[in-house]
Amino acid sequence: MMMGANKALELKNISKMYNSVSNDKEFLAVDDISVSIKAGEFVTLLGPSGCGKTTTLRMLAGFEIPTEGDILLGGKKLNDIPANKRNTTMVFQSYALFPHYNIFDNIAYGLKIKKVPKHEIKDKVVKIIKLVGLENLEKRFPGQLSGGQQQRVALARSLVMEPDLLLFDEPLSNLDAKLRVYMRNEIKKIQRRLGLTSVFVTHDQAEALSLSDRIIIMNKGKIEQVGTPQEIYQYPKSEFVADFIGNANFVDGIIKEIGDEYITVDFLGSVTKIKNKGLADFKVNEEVKVVIRPEAINLKTDGNYNGKVTLSTFMGNTQEYSILLKGSTLFVEEPNPAGKTIYREDENVRFSIQEEGLHVVPKKINKRWGVKDDV
Amino acid sequence: MYSIFYKLVNKWGELLKKNKANANKGFGHKLISEFKMISKDPILLITIIAVIFSLFLFIILPLYHVLKQSLIDLDGNFSISGYITAFTSSSNFASIVNTLVLATIVGVIATIIGFVFAYAAAYIKMRGKKLFNLIAILPLISPPFAISISIIFMFGSRGLITHDLLGLNDFNIYGLTGLVLVQSLSFFPLAYLLLSGVLETIDPSMEEASQNLGGSRWNTFAKVTFPLAKPAIVNAFLLVFIKSIADFGNPIAIGGGYNTLAVQIYQQAIGNYDMAGAAALAVILLDISLIMFIVQKYYFENKSYVTVTGKSAKERLMIGEKHIRLPISMFCITASLIIIALYALIPLGSVVKLWGINYSLTFDHYIYVFSVGKKAILDTTIFAAIAAPITGIVGMIVAYLIVRKRFLGRTFVDFTSMLGIAIPGTVIGIGYILAFNSPPVVLTGTALILIIAFIARSVPVGIKSAVTTLQQIDPSIEEAAQDLGANSFKVFTTITLPMIKTAFLGGLIYSFIKSMTALSAVIFLISAKYNLMTIVILDQVEVGKFGTASAFSTVLIAIVYLAIFIMYRIVGLFGVSKKDIKLTKG
Repeated sequence: MMMGANKALELKNISKMYNSVSNDKEFLAVDDISVSIKAGEFVTLLGPSGCGKTTTLRMLAGFEIPTEGDILLGGKKLNDIPANKRNTTMVFQSYALFPHYNIFDNIAYGLKIKKVPKHEIKDKVVKIIKLVGLENLEKRFPGQLSGGQQQRVALARSLVMEPDLLLFDEPLSNLDAKLRVYMRNEIKKIQRRLGLTSVFVTHDQAEALSLSDRIIIMNKGKIEQVGTPQEIYQYPKSEFVADFIGNANFVDGIIKEIGDEYITVDFLGSVTKIKNKGLADFKVNEEVKVVIRPEAINLKTDGNYNGKVTLSTFMGNTQEYSILLKGSTLFVEEPNPAGKTIYREDENVRFSIQEEGLHVVPKKINKRWGVKDDV
Repeated sequence: MYSIFYKLVNKWGELLKKNKANANKGFGHKLISEFKMISKDPILLITIIAVIFSLFLFIILPLYHVLKQSLIDLDGNFSISGYITAFTSSSNFASIVNTLVLATIVGVIATIIGFVFAYAAAYIKMRGKKLFNLIAILPLISPPFAISISIIFMFGSRGLITHDLLGLNDFNIYGLTGLVLVQSLSFFPLAYLLLSGVLETIDPSMEEASQNLGGSRWNTFAKVTFPLAKPAIVNAFLLVFIKSIADFGNPIAIGGGYNTLAVQIYQQAIGNYDMAGAAALAVILLDISLIMFIVQKYYFENKSYVTVTGKSAKERLMIGEKHIRLPISMFCITASLIIIALYALIPLGSVVKLWGINYSLTFDHYIYVFSVGKKAILDTTIFAAIAAPITGIVGMIVAYLIVRKRFLGRTFVDFTSMLGIAIPGTVIGIGYILAFNSPPVVLTGTALILIIAFIARSVPVGIKSAVTTLQQIDPSIEEAAQDLGANSFKVFTTITLPMIKTAFLGGLIYSFIKSMTALSAVIFLISAKYNLMTIVILDQVEVGKFGTASAFSTVLIAIVYLAIFIMYRIVGLFGVSKKDIKLTKG
C-alpha cells in the first residue's frame, strides 16, 4: 500500500501552560521538552497520569497549542496549523467512532472531506478494511461491533488518510488483557509494514517495551530518559525510570570506590562491584539507591545472601517471594516453580544476585510513585 | 547549614522569576494563537461574532435600557425617585412584599407535594404512576393561567363547589388563597420532575446498607434518603420560587386586589405610563430572580451528592408495606385526578352557555373564537412556528460553542444565555419596548419583535438541554472528525448535529409550546395589528367571559397537541424514538 512520504518530527523546547480558572494559577503540563523522531520511527511516550504525555500528543495533533516552542514535521512548522489542516491522524482511547455512520462511512469520512473521487475512496477503504481484517462488516454500525473490532475501525480510519504522522492516545487501554496483547502485535505489524512515523502514548510499560523503536519516559512534564526498550530497562538513569519500567527492588547503598569499569557499592551488608554505566556523576561516599531486578535474584543453597521469607505466593508460572534481610524487603520471582523447593513463610533462604540485574541510581528525596503496569 | 538555606532561597527566587516570565509570555501568546486558529475558520469566526452580537442586542441592551429608565425622571434627568416610590408608595411596596410572601408559601407547598410525588414514583409500589407524567406535562402545554380558570369554575362566586354544592354566596377565591392554590398546583410538577430525577439516581445500595445495619424504613428515610435529596429539595424550592415571582397570568386572573410585582410593573407601565416607576420595579424583580438563580446555580447544583452517571444498574426494591404504600399512593392518585379534572373543566366550560347560571350545551363560544379570534390564532401559531426552528438551531449552535470551543467571549456567551432563564418575562417585555421603540433599532409594533421575544424566551432552555446532551458526548468523536480534515462547520453539521438531534427536536417542540403559551413578555409587545391568543384569553377572563376564554384555551391546547403529534411524526423520520425526547425536563 502506498503511504505518504515519511517525515521526521522534531519538538523544540515545547512547553504547555494551562491557566486554571478556579485559583488563577498556571499549571505547567509540559515543561520545555525537546526530542527528535526519525522518519518511520515508532516512539512511545510513557509515564504516569499527569506526566504530560497526552498533552504532548494533543499538541502534535493540533488540539492544543504549545505555549512555547516549535513543532516541526518534515522541517515544516506546525504550530499555527489547525488540526483539520494537518496531515496527522489520531487513534483515540475511546475509539471516537461516529455512531451515526456505518463502518465504511466511518473509514471514508476523511477522504470524503478531502473530496477524493468516489471510486478512489472505495478502492482505498476496501484495501484498508482488508489490511485490518474487517471484511464483511462494512455495513454495520459502531454499536454493533466488539471492542477489538471498533479499535480496528479507528485504526483503519486513521491509516486510510495516509498520514505523515500517526498518533495513538492509549488506544488499547479499553480492551481486555488478551485482546490487548493481540492488538498490540497487529499494530506493530501494520506500522512496520507501512513504515509510518508514529507516536504512541501509554502508561503501560509492556506496550511501550513491545511496540517501540524508542521510548520517551516522561514525569511531571519533563523527559526523564529517552532510549530503546533495552537501554531503558538495562540502563535506567533514575529511580523513577527503574521503578516505572519493569519490577524493581530499591535498597540503600553507599559508594565506596569509582572505577572506569565498575562502581563499588556497599549495600545489604556486603560490598559489591556494579558496572559503571556512566549515566550519572557519582562521588565516593555518596548515598545512592541500588536497583535489584527481581529476576536477578536466584534462590540457591550456596548463595551468599541470607534472608527470611515473609510472603510466598504461587502464581502459576512463577513463585513470588518477599524476603527480608537487613531491614529491606526484596521482591523475588522464581520461574518454573514446579519441581523446585518451595519456601514457606518464616523459613530462611539463601540466594545470590546476578550482577547484570544491578544498577546504581542517584538517591532522590521525594520519590514519586508511578502507575505501574495496568492498574 | 546557612549556605544551604541561602542556596535554596536563591534557587526558589530564580524559579519564581522564570515562571512569572513564562506566564506573562504564555498568556498573551496563547490568546494570539487562539485567535489565529479561529480566524483560519471564517464560518466559526462569523458565527461567534453573530452570537455575541445577538446576545448583546436582545438580552443585554434591553436590560441596560430598563436600568437606565429606572434612573431618570420625567424630564430625563438622573433620579432615583423610581426606587423611592417603589419602597414608599404603599401599592408598590405592597407588591414587593406580596410577591415574596406568595413565592415563599408556594415554594414550600409545591416542593412538599412534588417530593411526595417524586418519592412515590421512585420508591413506592403502586399503580397509576403513568398519571404522574400526564400531570407533569399538562401545565406545560396549557395557557399559563389555565388552572385559574378552572379554579374560578370550581370556587368562584358561581362556582360548582362554592355556590352549587355548598350554597355559599359571598365566597371569594380571588386573592392570596386562590393564588397559592393555583400556583402550587401549576408549579409542583416542576419540583416533582427535578426531585424524581434525583431520587431515581440515588444508588439503592446505600439504602440497603442502612437497612442491613439495622435501620428501619423511617430511619433509612430520615438518615439516608432525605439528607441525600436535601440539596435537590432546596433547589426545587428555588426553582418554584423563581417561577412564582415571574408568573404574570395567574396573579392577573385570580389575584384580585393581591398585586404582585409582575402585575404592578404592567399596570405602572401600560396603565399609568409611569415608565421610570415600572422600570425600577422591574429592576427589583430582576434582582430577586437573579439572586435566587445564582444561589441555585452556584451553590446547590454543585452540592448534589448524587453522582449522575446514568441510571444505576441495580433496580430498587419498591416499598410494598401497606402502612406506607396506602397513604402515599392515595394522596398522589387523588391529587392527580383532581388536577386532571381541573384541566378537563376547560373544554367542559367552553361548551356551556354561562357557567354557574346556564349549563345548556352550546357552540357559540367556538363560533365567536373562530370569527373574532381567527387572526390571533393564526398569528400566534405562525409566529410560534417561525420561532421554533430558529430557536432549535440557535440553541444547538450556542451550546456547541459553549461546550466545545474556546474563544474570547465564551464566558459572556455562557453566562448571558444562562441569564436568560432567570430573567422574568415582564422584565424582558418592558426592556424590549424601551430598547426597540426608537432608533437605531425600531421594532415595536412589528411581528418581528414578537418572534424575537418568542426566541429569546425559549432559547435559554434549548441551549441548556443541548449543553447537557453535548456534555455527555465524548469530545474525541468531534476531535476525530477535525483530525480527519473537517473544519468547525463540517464537524458541526456532519457529526455534532446528527448526534444531538434528539435534543434539537426536543428544543423545537419546547420552543413551539413555550411561544404558544407565552404571556408575560409579549403582553408589552402586542399592537393593534398583531395580537396573541394568550392575551385574548386573558382579556376574556378579565371581563368575566369565561366561556369564550375556555374555548380559546381549548383551541390553544388542541393546536399544541396537534403540533406535538406532527413533530413526533417528523422526529420518527429522523430515526429518533419519541421516548428519547424529554419534553418535561428543563
